[in-house]
Order: sequence, then C-alpha cells, then structure tokens
Amino acid sequence: MTLFHFFNCAILTFGPHAVYYSATPLSEYDTLGTSVKAALVYLGTALVKLVCLATFLKVSENDSFDPYQELLHAVIGFIDVAGLYFALTQLTHRNISQNHKFQAVGLGWAFADSVLHRLAPLWVGSRGLEFTWDYILQGLEANANLVLSISLAALGSLMWLRKNKPKTLIPIIYACAGIVATMPSITRFEYSFFISCVMPKGHLQPLPYVGGYQKSERLDTSYLGRGLGWHFPKVVGFELFTSLMMAFISWQLFSACQRSSS
Amino acid sequence: MSSKNPRERQMLESIYSMIAVVFILVTCVDLCDAATVVDVYRLIQYDISGVPFGSRFATLNHHAGSLHFAPGVDLSRTVLVIPVRELNITFVKEYISQRKPLGGLLFLLPQMFNFGNREAATEGKYQIREKELMKTVLAELERLLIHANIPYPVYFAFEDDDIDAVLADVKRSDVSGQPATATTGGYKLVVSAPEPKKIASPSITNIQGWLPGLKADGDPNQLPTIAIVASYDTFGTAPALSVGSDSNGSGVVALLELARLFSLLYSNPKTRGRYNLLFGLTSGGPYNYNGTHKWLRSFDQRQRESIDYAICLNSIGSWDNELWIHVSKPPENAFIKQIFEGFSTVAEELGFKVGLKHKKINISNPRVAWEHEQFSKLRVTAATLSELSAAPELLENTGGLSDSRHFINETAIVRSIKLVAESIARHVYGRQGKNIQIFADNTSLAVNAPYIRSWLDLLSKTPRVAPFLSKNDPFVTALKKELEDHTREVNAHHEVLDEMFTLYDSTKAKLNIYQVASVTFDLLLLLVLGSYLIILFTFLVITTRGLDDLISLFRRPPSRKVKTA
Repeated sequence: MTLFHFFNCAILTFGPHAVYYSATPLSEYDTLGTSVKAALVYLGTALVKLVCLATFLKVSENDSFDPYQELLHAVIGFIDVAGLYFALTQLTHRNISQNHKFQAVGLGWAFADSVLHRLAPLWVGSRGLEFTWDYILQGLEANANLVLSISLAALGSLMWLRKNKPKTLIPIIYACAGIVATMPSITRFEYSFFISCVMPKGHLQPLPYVGGYQKSERLDTSYLGRGLGWHFPKVVGFELFTSLMMAFISWQLFSACQRSSS
Repeated sequence: MSSKNPRERQMLESIYSMIAVVFILVTCVDLCDAATVVDVYRLIQYDISGVPFGSRFATLNHHAGSLHFAPGVDLSRTVLVIPVRELNITFVKEYISQRKPLGGLLFLLPQMFNFGNREAATEGKYQIREKELMKTVLAELERLLIHANIPYPVYFAFEDDDIDAVLADVKRSDVSGQPATATTGGYKLVVSAPEPKKIASPSITNIQGWLPGLKADGDPNQLPTIAIVASYDTFGTAPALSVGSDSNGSGVVALLELARLFSLLYSNPKTRGRYNLLFGLTSGGPYNYNGTHKWLRSFDQRQRESIDYAICLNSIGSWDNELWIHVSKPPENAFIKQIFEGFSTVAEELGFKVGLKHKKINISNPRVAWEHEQFSKLRVTAATLSELSAAPELLENTGGLSDSRHFINETAIVRSIKLVAESIARHVYGRQGKNIQIFADNTSLAVNAPYIRSWLDLLSKTPRVAPFLSKNDPFVTALKKELEDHTREVNAHHEVLDEMFTLYDSTKAKLNIYQVASVTFDLLLLLVLGSYLIILFTFLVITTRGLDDLISLFRRPPSRKVKTA
C-alpha cells in the first residue's frame, strides 16, 4: 500500500494550496495567472540563491557550527524578499484588489516552494515499502510554509504597495517582515546546531514512534533528505507554531492599516 | 477574458506535460530504501538420484515472526527468525518432519562463525564450553536440514546490531499478541533471488604432483611409489559458508607440509629415497570420493601396480591423544601389519596412541565411506589416517557450518604431520624400528608451524563446495601453484561429477528488511487528512466569504433547477 502512502502525503503537502485557492474569493476572481507568475519568479529566485550559495559558501569537512556561514545563509535568505518584491510590484497583475493580490502571490510562492523542495523526495521515497514519518512531517512543514509565505506577502504588500501607513506601525511591520524572512535560516540554524553539538555522526538513535532504530547518517544541509530521529518533529512543530503566530500578527497589522486608511 | 483563457490554458498544459516528463524520469530511479540490508546464505539444494533435498526455493517476500508466536497462528506467510543460540531443535524437527506450512526460515548464527569478519572471528568472549555447545547444536541442526526436503526458503545470516534490533522488535510485538500480517504492520523480509537452477556438468579438479625417487643406474624396473592423498572440497548446509577447517582443511594443510618436507629431502640426490612420492589433492570427497575414483582410473595398470601403499588424510585437526588408521584389508595381512607397526612405533615416540580399525568393503554398495576404499577397490593397498573412530555417514563430517577455525588444534596437525613424515621416511630409507628422528625440531627439516597456520587460515576462509568451484577457480590454481613449488610434473585433471548428485545454484543473496505500516494506518491517515482539508476549506470560506456563502454552496443546484423551471 505504498502508493497509498504517497497519495496521502501528496494531499497533505499540496492539498492546502488547492483548498486555499478554491475556498477564498481567489477562485472567483480567477487569479490563477498571478499565482503562476509568482511561482515562476520563485523559480528564478531559487536559481539566483543557488548560484550565490555555490559562489560564496565553503563546504566544511566537519559538521562544526560556523556562525559566519550561518550569517551568510541568512543574508542570502534576503534574496527571497527581493524576489517577492519583484513579484508584488514589478509584474503586471490584472485589476485585482490589494487584498487578493498578496494572497495570490503568496499562494503561488508557497506552491512553487513545495513542488521544488518536496515533490521529488516524496515521489522517490514514499513509494517504497519502508515506512518513515519523514514525509508526513514534510507535509506539515509545507503547510507551515504556506502560512508563512502568505504572511510574508501580506507584510510585503503593506511595505511596498500601501502608501499611507500609520507611523507607529511602520517599524513593527519591518521587524515582522525581517523575522519572517529569516525564518528558514532560523530553522536551518537550529537544525545544524543540533547536528553539530548533540549528534555524533553515525550514531544510532531510538525512534519512539516506530519502535526501531534508524541510522542517522544522512546529514544534508538542505531541507531535504533528513533522517534524524526526534529532532525533525521538534523543528516542524516549531515552524508550525511560529507560522501561526506570524500569520496572526500580520493579519492584525493588515487590518489595522486597513482601518486607518478607510 | 476569453482571449486570456486559451493562453492560460496552454500554459497550464505545458506545465502539466513538463511535470509528467519529470515524473517519468524520476520513476527510473531505483528504489532501494530498506532500513537494513543483510547478507544471507541459502540452505543447500541438491538431488541424489532425483530425490530432492534441502530448501527448494530462493525468493522470499513475507513478514517476520519470532518464536514467541501464539499457538494456532497461521505461519504460512511468515518467516520465522531463529537465533541459533536460542534454538529449540525439537521444535524445528517437528516443523520440518510434519511438513507444517511456513513462509520461510532465517537462522541467525553468532559472529564467531563469520570467517569474513576479522574482529568477530578472533574475539574470545565465548567460553570453551559455550563454543562446544554451539558446535553440537549446529551439527545437529545441519544433520536435520541436509536430509530434509523443505518446500520454503531457508537462509542463514550472522547476528549484528541491525538484525538484533529487528528481532527484538518482532519479539515484542509477538509477545503482545499481535502477529505481523498485512493489516498490522511490522517488518517485511524480502529476498529477490533468481530461480535456482541446476548446475550442469559440475567440474571437479584433481591435482597431482610427483617427487621422483633415485633410480639406480642400470635398473630397468620402475621404482615403487608411496601416495599421500587428501580431498580438499567440502559440503555443508550453507555452501557459501562451508569452509571445512577440519574436514578436510587439516588434511590439505598436512599434505602441503609433507610435500614441502620431502621436497627438501629429495632435492639433494644424496638424500633422495628409492621410492617415488605421489601427492594427490582430490575433489569430490563428500560424493563417495568420486574424484578419487576417477583419478585412479586415469592411471594405467602398471602405474597402479607400482603403488606400494597410499595414505589418505582425513580430519586430523582436532584430536587429543588418539588417532586411527582405517584399513579395508584384514589386519592379519603382513603388509598392513608392517605399516601399522611403523606408525605405532613413531606414535609412541611422539607420545600418543594410534589404533587400527578394519572395515570390509562391499563392491556392490555405491557408498564409499573412506578414501582408501577407492584404492582398495582397484587392489591398491591403502589406509586412511583420521581422528574419527567410526566411518561417517553420507554427507556427514564433510565440513559444514560447525566446522570452523575455532575448533582446530594446530599442535594436533603438527603431530599428525610428524607421524606421517617419520613413518614414511623410515619406510623409504629402510630405517624401520630404529630410533632416529629425521624431522626433528629446530632442524632445517622441522615442521613449519607458521606455514601450517597461514594455509589453515586461508582454507578457513574459502568455501570449497566442488560444483561451485569452476575450472579456473583461483583457489584451485593456488593449490596447483603450491604443489608446483614443492613437486614436479604437477597436473590438474578436470572431471565431471557423477550424475547421482545434482546441486543447484543461488547460494548467496541480500536480504532487505523493510519496516511497513499497516493498511489500517494508511486508511486512518487518509481519514484524518480528509477531515483536515474539509475543516480548512470551511474555515477559509467562513473567514473570507462569510457563512452565507458556505451554505449557498450546498444550495446552488436546487436554485438552478428552480430557475429553469
């Protein structure tokens, strides 16, 4: 029943995007084009980030925690923000309101992220006989990412598309945007910190869920291919929590700006 | 709006086709994602005159189970994983003799028997008593498995951390009363091996070498010959693990050392004896010494008649203070008496006993228990020197799993070599009964213990089941080269094994252990995800469009009907 498992994980990873599109007024206003354009901009951004990482980052032989490398990762994370800026401001959108524009862009952004980072491992890995919790956790991560992207797009639209904002809220907006932009780097940092300090390489970790042992040898620096034990659920939980928090905060900011302008 | 739609639709279609291409490309990636991959060795599969024995299947694809299963549970789709340490032989006997349905058997051997793993093989954490116990248990298990016809795959593996963890898990779930099946998850053992095929015309290779004696000038008669023979191949429960250190690795090592010692003596014409020495490494030992039979037939009558006597070496590696000489001619025979006296005198000097055992040969019976019987059938005087006091049964004491390096006593081999060397030398140089030590310690003719040890180590790492050794197998070539170093006129004769024995291939495979989730889990997950998506949908509709819209979603069809009516 492994194709079944693949199907389950796929609807967990990509279902919310489809549901979001159909449930909100986005489907009524037919904003698919905007989402697709945002997805393409995300692809371009990912390419640029890849090139920058390849150029500026050194591959360390040992898994020691290097603050300068992490800082560089965070800086490169801001390329994400630049890409989002481009998608929000430079592309020609049809006549859709501010409200829907940022949602469509955020949705397209998150969908492209999920497809790029999670589809391939899902297809290759979850169809085998072996069962792991990895793909379900990855799906939850995709959900968190969706919420995060939409809140980042909301903050972005507040920053760049809205002309009259109440003075007091501006620094908060920028601060929140900064936090959301560096969220991927924070989760990576937490991850690699755990890797370097807590886990020696090749150590056998007990896996309370499946009651067996899993070799923790695959230590990639990307989001993909993680085989560590109980750290991955922790990280995903942290991501979900922070994404909901940030969504709530940005919703409050958005409605506050809406109230002040109207 | 309508002009944009076809363009957007085209874009969507191109994206979909691109995604489809990516999917197709990715499916070509091999799926090998098992948590554990273990080397396993299959039980031997063979026919004797068409009667099948051993395990008849190789592919395995069932759930793992342990010995703690509840009684009355259907095990026809379960593989029982049994560590040999906790083996209950009556249970296995019952299962096999009553032909109860089983998906497969996997025996876990202690690392002690793993000749491929250096550190494990030399660790001494086992007491002698434990080792002996293990040896008896294994020997009994082997005897049971070899003579049974088992209609499911039987594999052997070595214990290691991964498989121990899997077994512990399986035991835990079995004890709690949940047998592992498709609906309750657990571990799945998969071996994808090809269908086992008969080995057509299995080849056996006999290697011989001569040390020519000193012919007196003007003497037209052929010199008499003394032959020293040992069979070098094995047969065991797991052909990929049958290294046969004692049966007959000890014999091979002794023969090589004897060849070396006599070649030193014979290299100098002043010390060359008046006997030719013939060294024979024969194959096909477990199969009624088929190889020896064919080798002897390759000699012509004159050569056979010139053989004074032959000494066959069989299992001389783990005795304490008694060896046996087995003969087929009656002990009252003068020549046999002379030979035996020679051996027992030397044995007394070396501090142990040699006994004489007589077994009549029955020419009509195809069963040949000792190698010397093949000589006796052609009227050549021969005897077998062995630590075994009774003749082994067919396919017994042929170097199976329990015959490992740990149970060999190197000093025993050294003493056996001294015995044979001194006895033959005294016979060759006419010094019987005289108290003289030709191969004394600390001389240039001393028995070389490191040489014995290194060859014994090599033999204990090489599985030598004859049908699986090809004509140019590196081990056979190595034996030939070694004999060439010490003797002259080395020849390797390739024969085909008798048709009475047929062996099947597929002896080694890789076992994949997958941890699988049950079907109920998948269904539950689908339910949870479905409800999550529905809740998300309703939440988003309510927050963005309002509750009325949600209700209107369910009311639309009836309103349309009203409109058209």
